[in-house]
Amino acid sequence: MLKLFKTILKAGEATLKYPFAPLPVCDNFRGKPEHQPEQCIACAACAVACPANALTMSTDAEAGTITWSFFVGRCIFCGRCEEVCPTKAIVLSPEFELAVANAADMYQHATFKLAQCSECGEYFAPKKEVEYTADLLKQAGMTAEAVESIDHLLHTCTDCKRKQNVPEAHQVEFTRYLKGNEA
Amino acid sequence: MSVSAETKIGRHYIEALRQRFPAAVLQEEWQTKDQVTVTVKLNSLPEVVEWLYYDQGGWISVLFGNDERSIHGNFAVYYVLSMEAGVKCYVVVRAEVDARTGEFPSVTPKVAACVWGEREIRDMYGLKPVGLPDERRLVLPDDWPDNLHPLRKDTMDYRVRPEPTSDVENYKFVCDATGETREVPLGPLHITSDEPGHFRLFVDGEDIVDADYRMFYVHRGMEKVAETRMGYDEVPFLADRVCGICGFAHSVAYTTSVENALGIVVPERAQVIRSIFLEVERLHSHLLNLGLACHFVGFDTGFMQFFRVREKSMTLAELLTGARKTYGMNLIGGIRRDIQKAERLATLKLVGELKKEVTELVEMLLETPNLAQRTSGIGLLDRKIARDYSPVGPHVRASGFARDTRADHPFCGYKLFPMPVRTKDTCDVLGRVLNRVEEFFDSIDFLERAIAGMPNGPILVEGFKYTPHKFALGFTEAPRGEDIHWSMLGDNQKLYRWRARASTYANWPPLRYMLRGNTVSDAPLIVASIDPCYSCTDRVTMIDVRKGKSTTVPYSEIERYGRERKDSPLK
Repeated sequence: MLKLFKTILKAGEATLKYPFAPLPVCDNFRGKPEHQPEQCIACAACAVACPANALTMSTDAEAGTITWSFFVGRCIFCGRCEEVCPTKAIVLSPEFELAVANAADMYQHATFKLAQCSECGEYFAPKKEVEYTADLLKQAGMTAEAVESIDHLLHTCTDCKRKQNVPEAHQVEFTRYLKGNEA
Repeated sequence: MSVSAETKIGRHYIEALRQRFPAAVLQEEWQTKDQVTVTVKLNSLPEVVEWLYYDQGGWISVLFGNDERSIHGNFAVYYVLSMEAGVKCYVVVRAEVDARTGEFPSVTPKVAACVWGEREIRDMYGLKPVGLPDERRLVLPDDWPDNLHPLRKDTMDYRVRPEPTSDVENYKFVCDATGETREVPLGPLHITSDEPGHFRLFVDGEDIVDADYRMFYVHRGMEKVAETRMGYDEVPFLADRVCGICGFAHSVAYTTSVENALGIVVPERAQVIRSIFLEVERLHSHLLNLGLACHFVGFDTGFMQFFRVREKSMTLAELLTGARKTYGMNLIGGIRRDIQKAERLATLKLVGELKKEVTELVEMLLETPNLAQRTSGIGLLDRKIARDYSPVGPHVRASGFARDTRADHPFCGYKLFPMPVRTKDTCDVLGRVLNRVEEFFDSIDFLERAIAGMPNGPILVEGFKYTPHKFALGFTEAPRGEDIHWSMLGDNQKLYRWRARASTYANWPPLRYMLRGNTVSDAPLIVASIDPCYSCTDRVTMIDVRKGKSTTVPYSEIERYGRERKDSPLK
């Protein structure tokens, strides 16, 4: 019995001041995903990876937009989105207080413009993704002029590309730049 | 995976089987070097399973059906036996069931452990186990339509919610008592826990004569969701959510099953990290149960102290995985996060503190006279019953059987860092508590060894090939016993069939025998001693057979009576 009292005495007060004082979490804690729309290229990699379907993409072909949506109510905080994001636009934060007064606040949306195909005029890919591709090519060693010269290819939808493919076969050599000039 | 003849562990079982039943064996197929599936003729199924179970030292791990009509035209039933006498391996007995008749001979009359599995096959596939003594529903609710069998490939979408067909509960509770009894219903449910259950105790005065129970009130249909909606590489995150306490054990069992099926060799470092997380999970789970043991014998201060200390093990999980529960760390082929040096040091520090503080608390608990008084000789799990029903974990180990998946079928890091198997031979609630205490310190010891001796290397392999219709078993030892999963891949980046059996599923059937002969005030204690993913059974109905009277008592009242043993609610 004495031992018990000793233990209780030694334990002191176990109750924390939270919520009146902040509750620290570990460095690698996985909390609510934070999305940076400026950084996002709307490629939908996160929506494909999300096991819980908390992240979804929807296209509006009329308006020419694509909308990224996040529903925190479905999120399981696994961090797969963070792992697959090519531009680090989505990062898990230490935020864990997720209660909201209004159910609509559990949703986040970000709408991006789509690019039009230079041939048929259909919307075919997020504008920022197309720009990102051009930047990647420059990053990979292509000169600005070379990228400019294939600009129409970047702005063509897959259907039109397929149609053009045969007559333009001689131009395919630009891919050599991607492999580092090994002929 | 092709396995060469010399490395096949347990091939003598198959040779002996062919000798004993010359005409029965149709096909044998090795999934890994210690996992074999033998297809037998349908009519010899009961004899083959019985022979492997009782003559060859097998235990039923899980049994399930599979709708293989789109593959070869028939249904199939699988009986997974864990062979544990002498050479240790898994033998899966498979039989094909004709799609037109849908009948197969029940194994339950020969091997009682098959009862829940066969009832579930009946519910989920509409197959008929001929000769099954208990033909009540197990998984499907009483108001579910008669001819809707959810796991058949052609019945229903996973989003369908059929209209209830009945407004009244029509489940018949079974009582073997010869004399008159009073009926005590405990339950039905309180949805704060993942699996509410309804208990009905048949009592004579204060003594429990017989007991029956109904589970699966909140069956979540996870197997169906995994097979229809999710990709096979997303299921580890769903498996994490099978249980709120031992979810990581399930996700390891699932990933290992797919890795075994595809012949993926997981890097050693990833394997050791997996078992480190598994042991962290065991720490917090066992502390929870020890806390509850205090609570149920009326030693609430002890309960508070155990839960205070348990918080350290939760911090440990958060530190290592980024989440207190549902770690989400597994992928097919390895693990997602490495353990860095700073984390290793912090872990060793926390583990040291836990060891010291829990040692003191356990001393205190064992010195409490209440504990031995209330738990010794209570809720006896007879050795014969244990052998017949194949329970797992501390539950069966406290009845003297040295069954522990970590030692019997070493997986993950337990090949590198073996674990001792603890047993007790008292067969009672006290034995189970003491068994958990010893295992807690084994886990502490394991963590110290594994953290210090982690092998180097990668933590994830990628670039394996998804091969349609491959299947295999995956298994872990969760805090409550063996968790076993069987996965068959489909041809669409999904699963064709996923069977996940949680340890408590194997532990419920013998509970009935453990309740018999005890008093009503011991019932909560006995139920808690199997450490069920605690089904908040918040009400009890008592039926007095002698007076023909039925009373419903709130569970809190029964629990209070269990602790104080004053003012019986039965009077």
